[in-house]
Formats: sequence, structure tokens, C-alpha cells
Amino acid sequence: MVRNSDAFGSLHPVVVFGYFVLVVGVSVVFLHPLILTVSFVGALAYAFYLVRWAGLRKLLPGLMLLMVIAALFNPVFNHRGVTTLFYWEDNPITLEAVVYGWVAALMVGSVLLWFVSYNQVMTSDKFLCVFGHVVPALSLTFAMVLRFVPRYLAQAKRIAAAQRGIGRDVASGNWYARARHGAAVLSIMLTWALENAVDTSDSMLARGYGLPGRSAYNDFRWRERDLMGALALGGGLLVVIVASVAGVLRAEYFPAIELNPAVPLAWLVIGVWALVCFAPLLLGLKEEVTWRSFRSNS
Amino acid sequence: MNPWVRLAWVLSLTGIPLVLLLGVLFPFERSYYFVAFAVILLAIVPFFAAFEGRKPAAREVVIIAVMTAIAVTGRAAFFMVPQFKPGVAVVILAGVGLGRESGFVVGALTGFVSNFIFGHGPWTPWQMFAYGLIGFLAGVFFSRGAAERNGLGRGSRSYKPWIIGYGTVATFVIYGLLVDTASVMMWASEFTWPAIFAIYLSGVPFNALHAFASAVFLTLLSTLIVEKLTRLKTRYGMFQPR
Amino acid sequence: MALIQVEQLSFAFPNTEQDVLHAVSFELAAGEFALLIGQSGCGKTTLLKHLKTALTPYGTRSGAVRFDGRPLGEVPQAEQARRIGFVLQNPDNQIVTDKVWHELAFGLESLGTPSDVIRRRVAEMASFFGIGDWYHRNVDTLSGGQKQLLNLAAVMTMQPDLLLLDEPTAQLDPIAAVDFLAATKRINDEIGTTVLVTEHRLETAFPLADRVLTLNDGRLVADEPPRTVGLALVHESDPMVAALPAAVRLSLALDAPDSVRTSPECAVAPPRPAECPVSIREGRAYLARKLDHAHLIAEPGHRLGFPESKDVENAVKARSATEVGDADGAEPIISARDLWFRYSRGDDDVLRGVDLTVRQGEFACLVGGNGSGKTTTLRVLSGLHKPYRGKVRLLGLDPTKAKGMELTRAGLAVLPQDPQTLFMRNTIGDDLDDVATTHFPEKEERAAMVASAAAAAEITELLERHPYDVSGGEQQRAALALALLTRPKLLLLDEPTKGMDAFFKAKLAGVLRRLIDQGLSILMVSHDVEFAAEHASRCLLFFDGVVVTEGVPREFFSGNSFYTTAANRMSRGLVSGAITVSDLVERIQALPAECTSPESVPATQRDAGEPVPEPASQKPETTTGAAS
Repeated sequence: MVRNSDAFGSLHPVVVFGYFVLVVGVSVVFLHPLILTVSFVGALAYAFYLVRWAGLRKLLPGLMLLMVIAALFNPVFNHRGVTTLFYWEDNPITLEAVVYGWVAALMVGSVLLWFVSYNQVMTSDKFLCVFGHVVPALSLTFAMVLRFVPRYLAQAKRIAAAQRGIGRDVASGNWYARARHGAAVLSIMLTWALENAVDTSDSMLARGYGLPGRSAYNDFRWRERDLMGALALGGGLLVVIVASVAGVLRAEYFPAIELNPAVPLAWLVIGVWALVCFAPLLLGLKEEVTWRSFRSNS
Repeated sequence: MNPWVRLAWVLSLTGIPLVLLLGVLFPFERSYYFVAFAVILLAIVPFFAAFEGRKPAAREVVIIAVMTAIAVTGRAAFFMVPQFKPGVAVVILAGVGLGRESGFVVGALTGFVSNFIFGHGPWTPWQMFAYGLIGFLAGVFFSRGAAERNGLGRGSRSYKPWIIGYGTVATFVIYGLLVDTASVMMWASEFTWPAIFAIYLSGVPFNALHAFASAVFLTLLSTLIVEKLTRLKTRYGMFQPR
Repeated sequence: MALIQVEQLSFAFPNTEQDVLHAVSFELAAGEFALLIGQSGCGKTTLLKHLKTALTPYGTRSGAVRFDGRPLGEVPQAEQARRIGFVLQNPDNQIVTDKVWHELAFGLESLGTPSDVIRRRVAEMASFFGIGDWYHRNVDTLSGGQKQLLNLAAVMTMQPDLLLLDEPTAQLDPIAAVDFLAATKRINDEIGTTVLVTEHRLETAFPLADRVLTLNDGRLVADEPPRTVGLALVHESDPMVAALPAAVRLSLALDAPDSVRTSPECAVAPPRPAECPVSIREGRAYLARKLDHAHLIAEPGHRLGFPESKDVENAVKARSATEVGDADGAEPIISARDLWFRYSRGDDDVLRGVDLTVRQGEFACLVGGNGSGKTTTLRVLSGLHKPYRGKVRLLGLDPTKAKGMELTRAGLAVLPQDPQTLFMRNTIGDDLDDVATTHFPEKEERAAMVASAAAAAEITELLERHPYDVSGGEQQRAALALALLTRPKLLLLDEPTKGMDAFFKAKLAGVLRRLIDQGLSILMVSHDVEFAAEHASRCLLFFDGVVVTEGVPREFFSGNSFYTTAANRMSRGLVSGAITVSDLVERIQALPAECTSPESVPATQRDAGEPVPEPASQKPETTTGAAS
């Protein structure tokens, strides 16, 4: 993902992280069909906006499968509910459980789709920005691991090639021979990594690591736009959470399905929720429209 | 003990029962999901606080980062079937070589960072805690005494078979059970025993293969890795018993 | 007042008798640019690490180090962290975090600097070093040169007064090395930071330095400006003389007391100069003066040196040698025809029609700039990558079709650029045993093979050592021993002299030459023009995915005008066909006969007494004195 190419992703990491936590949290906790439908569609649309068809095509079959499993899983194991549809191996399959299964499927689907976007937007440096002040030593260790992993992956390839060069074939043989060669590569890499790590720690010491009062710098600045975003999204989420807890949006599945009456207030809350779920997409689209207008003006 | 660390332990040890109690007293829709999630997070807190609290030295931070990166690389780069990975083996040996606290940090970070490659999801905290606990217990069981001073011990006093045994069991029971519980949370929107049992059962082949992989890689790697960590300790004076 | 004062500093590592440093004393004034030279293992790094307590090794020590008038130990850690910057040799190892911006901020974070100050300092340094373009990148996407520049910038954000650099360019390619040293000099010039740098690339570093400190076995043997340090070292008969820049070596060989010719008729040598030339430019001026003195460039067009005929002669010799091989019907050991390769379909071609032949007993050297495709060629030849067009035959096999270890059994061994990709065990001997096990099941045979491989690579005395406790040059030879265990007929080497000092290079050259005498053929990929000129039997210039030109070193390097040895650049247009300092010395010391009547001596006669440089047995510099 190119840095800041997405309007929502360019908000301050604290806002972005908080948004994902709360949206996923609401989706998981309040099993209301409308909430989940909106969340699912919002997540799908934003994920599509970020990774396009090419990215989604790889994910969707698995996602569908998981959702179908979730939909079937509940009626098979859950026999509560008053409306029996039929019996399967002496167990009643109830309408309530079937509906509940589909609601659960929506929940699973929307959570996974939100994580697709999360993985795109919430890159490691943003994560560090959120937690750098809270857990500085861990955050630094985390940044170092991120530094080492690509380096080690490249080194593993070099080691495998070097082993071939002196007549040790890494890629052939039965599974045990390959596991043994793999272990040898890992072992050579560990020796290399640990011995060279002495330099790394010298470099840290040379630049004053370990002095008291270390600060945590990050490259993100808190702007007015972040405050506005935080207030708008936070306010919207607060409305939904309070309304749900207060019972404005209520969904009971057992023993019988019971949704809250379609009062205007409930529709209003759903509307707010929809705005929250679609906010990242709308922000992105708004910026694209601006770009289009630039292009047509020039 | 650092006051912040003490606070973290207090928070964790009172927080977990409190959350459980609240979950039982005031159940709401899918409250168990919240409860489980909160318990996992609270369980991770004191370990991380301990790491922060002892203000780790540069070399300690580097070695923990190295071991974590090796475990992540092992999980990301290594061959063959999906479950046949050396990740758990490396975490265990980090616990053996560096002690329980570092073992937990290496494990938890391994779970966390590798999901930047495999994708984060609701399973992330569960994997973090599972890896962390495996590394921690490896440190508790093996990093005292002979293993700490002389590598894996010699001859009949060798720790190696025990480490391999522990690794196999821990992968199957701790990792398998915890990560499958994350699946339970996802799938079973209502708790029923047959449903939970079905999920655990479906995980058995994967977990068995995973445990077998741990056993194989521990057999191949344990002596080498612990030797290397021991050399580092003696040569550069790292991780001296405090 | 001196910024740093070292007084009678001695140091020994724990449990050792030998002093690593012995009564070293010197001072650095604020703003100086000092160069610290000496053989690998002479204590340079240890000395440098004594100038910053956070890095000072454990051991027994006497003497004192004073920083800014105070004993270093009494300077608070935070002040040392800020005011004394340290850059180490390996660019990759020192980078701590995954982002360029985070790395730049690391030091200031340690000092507890507030974010807005960090932002400003980082921005300033990024601008100074031109890092703006890659400020947001992940560090693993940077080149080696960029990484080392980042390490320098990450230290400079703290605005140090003293910059300590420990062989900062050893792992860089020549162009990146020059850029890095230029950046260091710029810091010294424009910010006024005091610099103390250890270097093996004296050709580049000498002209930049104000002072050259020379360590030999832990003792400071010379502390002089670059123009006079050579004379001091000759006076001390220090081995470092052999590693000095070409211009210095030339003037020392011609003018220093022990090499001034004694024959009374020699009118060439002027009185011993007080100063040596240090750069190519000064070397050229010096050479021109020398020749002028002998009235040799009075006539335009007159050139001293091997006449053209000799080059042609050499070329013909080399060619006929190979033709003889063909006449015997022997297949070349490597033959590659029209190789095309790219890493993946959408990428650009890396190899664009490579033609290349290596014959039995050759020491062929593929030289060329960074990213020209040299290493890729090596990989394609060894079957690691498959070309999408073209043919390779190697030891009678097609590497693209060879299965498993067929190539190894046929006699191919490939030595990686980084020897550390081979070491697994706790001693070099164990590693050799381990590899030998895969090739020789018999125990006695294995022991014999290990012993002979170790002897051939001259590492017998290192067998009990941990592979990471020996120096880079020794690691390289240990890796060579591992490769020799496969009993190769053909050895592919990738940049084997990287980071080595002159002495380890000479030792490696000796080892390789003996292997060739025993019938091994070598194809080496290298940036190291000087090494290739001195030791290879044939050089091939690689550019833009093809072999542009090839020839025996003399023909090859005198045909190039920039991509050539320092001695050749220095003598271009003045003396033709000289590619090493010893060539030049030989030519000029042969002058007296020519002084009298240059035209009267036929070229062939003049050259008759000289040994014709044969492929694979070029004379090392030290023996050239005998030729005159």
C-alpha cells in the first residue's frame, strides 16, 4: 500500500486504530441483522476500494466458505427455538437457529472483511505510533523484528544457495532430509544473526540507548482534520453503542425471533451506523472526485 | 519489583476473576466473547509490563528481537505443508536459553508480528498468548540449573528428551487448544458442548501435525540453538542471572 | 585545545598476555580529519572503541583518554552519546529499526528529545545528505551505500563534535565508498566535525586526510600528514608501505633511500623529496616532472613504456595459448553463448546476450560496476537461475538440466560473497568435518581431506577457532576450504576480496595461485580492479548485461581509460601499458639507457631481458627489484 494514498488511512493512526477496534467490536457484540448487514456491506465496499477485485478475488472464496460453514454450524448444533422446520438424525432443526446461523455468518464475514482493510491501512509504523508511548521497549523490539524479518528471509535464500554451491542440496530428498536441511539453514542463520546482533547492540549503545527518559518519536502529526474525524466517528459510534445497550436496537432469536419495532429512532441509529461504516469509503471517494475535478479543470 | 510491574500483576490477577465474575453475573448477548477476549488481554499485560519494567538493556532487546525474527522467518519461509513449521521450536528454545520472561516476550511477539505477514484477525491475541505461554513455560521448566549454565546437560542428565516431549505436548495442548478456542468464539455463536467439541475435534489433525513438526525441529535444533545462546552469554556477558 | 587526548594507552583483553594496544599516545584538535591505518588485527578497532565508554571492551587497561579536557570516564553517558558519534563497518548490522525516518530519530529518542525538535533535526540531516527521496522507505529497500549513509546521518542528527568511523566503506562497492568518504569530508568541511576514520581504501582516503596515524601491532608507529607518512613508514620498514596509495608507493619506490638506484649514471632521481604525491592527480604531475627531468616528453608524441608491439605480442600469446587448447580438442571448462535472463517476466533483462568462455587452468576475472549483472551471471552459470535464451556448457554439463548435486560431482564449487552463509558449528574444524561427511563416508579419508583442504586454504592454525572469532579475510579462506572439500575442478568466486586489507588479499592470491598450479580453474566476479590486474590471467568487463571487452590484464586495463588501476590512470599518456606500480617503477628505473638516446634503442631489444608477464603468474610487486 502506498503511503497515504487512501484518505482515511492518512488520518492519525490513533483515530484509525480506534475506528477499527470499535467497528469490529460493535459488529461482534450486537448481533442485529441490520447492524451486521450494514457493517458487512460497508466492510466489503471499503475492502473492494482498497484492494480492488484483484485483491478480493483471492479472499472471497474462502470467506464465502467460512460464512456458509457458520450458517450451517448453528442449526446443526443449536436446537433451541420454537419453530421446528424438520428433524435431522432425531434433532430438531429450528427456523430460529437457521436465521441465527445466517446472522452469525454475516458477523464472521464482516469481521474478516474489516480485517482485510485493517491489514491494508494499519501498517506496522502506525501501530508503533499508537503504542510507542505506552510500551516503548516492546515497541522498539517490535520495530527491530520488522527490520530483521525481511533481512532474514533474504539471508535464508542466500544460505540455501551457498549450501548448494558446496554440494549440499537443500531442496531435494524425502521430507526428513528436507526438514534436516531446513534446520541447517535456520541454524546457520541463527549463528549469523546472533553474532551480528552484537554490532546492532553496539550501534544502539553508541546512540545512547539505555539512557533514562527515552522519548518515542513518530512521523505522524495530529492535525485538525484528525480531531474532526475522531469527533465525528467517535460520536457516531457512541450513538450506536448507547442505542444498542439501551435497547433501541434489539434482536432476540430464542426462543422466538423478536426484532424491535421499526420505530423512526431505530432507523435513525441504523442511519448513523451506516454513515460510520461507509465513512472511510466516502472519504476516499470524495478525494477521488476532487482529483477528477482537478484533472478536468486543467 | 518495579511498582508498575506490581500494578500490572494486581490488575491482571484481580482483573481476570472480576471480568469472569461480571460475565457470569451480568450475561448479555455474546458476553462470553468479551469475557474471553478481556481475559486474554489481561493475561498478556503483566508479562509485557515486566519486560517494560526491567528496562531491558540493548543486548537483551536485540537478542529477543533476533529470536523473534528467526521464529517469524521460520513460520513464514519454511517449506512444505502449512502446519510443518519450526516456529514453536524456536520459541521454546528461546525460553530455554533466555529464561521465562524473555520466552514469553519472544513468543507473544512471534504471534503478533507473523500476522503482519499472514493477516491479523480476531485470532491474533489468542496466538500471541499461546506462543507466549509456551515460551514462558519452557523457561520455567528448563532454564534453571544445568540448562542455564551448560547448555542442555550431558548424557543421562540431558534435558533434550524432556524438551522435545514438552514441545510436542505444548504445541498440541496449549497452542492447539487456545487457537481453536478462538475459532470456537468465531463459529459457535451459542455455547453448546457438542459444537465446541466438534470444533476441537476438527482441529486435531492440524494440531497433531503441528506438534509433530515441533518434535522434529526440536530434535534437530535444540542442541545447536542452546549452544549458540550459551556462547553468546559467556562471550558477551548477556543475560547474566540478575 | 585538543578535543581528544590519548595518553600512554595500553590494553589487553581478559585472559590474554598480549597487549592489543601498547602505550598509544596522540591528540586530535577540533576540526581535524585523521586517518587511522594498519594491518587487520593491529588494534585499530579496539583503539577507536576506547574513545567512547559505551563501546569500550572489557580488559586490563592503563593510560588515559581525555575528551574536551576531562577524563573520558567522567564525561556523562548522555553527553558522550550526543557528542561522540560512532559508525561501524557493516551497514546492515547497525540499522536498528525498519524505517529510514525512525532510524534517523533513534539517537535523539534515546536522549529524550521532544518530538518537534527531533522533527527539525531529522529534516535538517535528511536535507544535508539528500535523503529526502527515500525518507519514508523501508530500510531493506536501500542499497548498501544508502544504508551506510543512513547510519552516518543517524549519528549526525545528534550533532556530534567527534565522529569515529570504523572501516565504514569496507562492505561497499567502489563508487558507494567514494561517495561515503566524500560525505564524511563534507561534514568535516561544512560542519567542522572532527573525524577519525579507519580505512583500507587508502587511495580514496589519503587525499582527504589531514593526518595519518599508523598502528602496527598495537603501537603507534607514525603520526604524520599523508604526504610524509610514507617516508616515515619506510624509515620504520613498516609493512603498511605495501598498502599505501599508488602515487605514494611510486614516489617511495623511486625516491626513498633504500630504493634509490645506486648506479652513478642515473640522472633520473632528483634528491629525495620531502613530500610524496597522494592523489592520482599529484601522482601524474610527479610522474610528468620525473619524465621531464629526463627530457622525455619534450617531443610531443613520444611515450615511454612498452611499445604497442608488446601489447599486441601479449595478446597474441594469450590467444594462441587458448587456440592450442582448442586444437587439442579440449572443451572449454565454461562456455556460455548468448545468455538472456530476467528475474521475472515483467522485469527488465539482466543478462542481454552474454558470451563467455573459461578454459582449463585460467584465472578469469569478471569486473564491472554495481548492478551490471556480474553476480547474476555467476548464478546462471552455476544453475541457480535458468536463462530464457542461450546455451551454457559447464564441465561438460548443461547446468540448467543438471539434477541434484550432479554439478558438484562434476567438479563445480561456488563460493558465496558472504562466507558467513556457510558456518554453522562452534569451530571451523567442526564445520569442515560436517561438510566432509556429506562427501566422504569413510572416516580416515574424511580426516585426510579436511587436513589437506585446510592446508591448501592456509587455515590449519584456525581449525579450533570459532568461525566468527576470526577476521573477515580468514573467514573467506575458511569458506574456501569448505568448497575445496568437494574436490572442485572449477571454482566460482563472488567478490572474494570484499572488505579485506592488502595483506589478506595477497595471502588469498597466493592460495588461489597454488590451486591453479594444481589444475583448478577459477572464474571470479569482482569490483577489485587492482586485484584483478595483479593476479588474474584474463579480465572481462561486464556492462549492461553483456561482456563488453576482454583480454589479458595488461592489454585489458591499458585499453580502458577510467575503469582501470590507479597506476594506469596515473601514467595514462605518459607511460603506456603500465598497470601496476611495479610496472611503472620498472619502466622508469630502466630509464638511464634511454636518457642518452631514447630513439636509438630498438624496442624489442629493450624488452628482451624482461620476463613476459604470463597468465596466472604475474610477478608480485616485491620481486620487481630484481628485474632491473
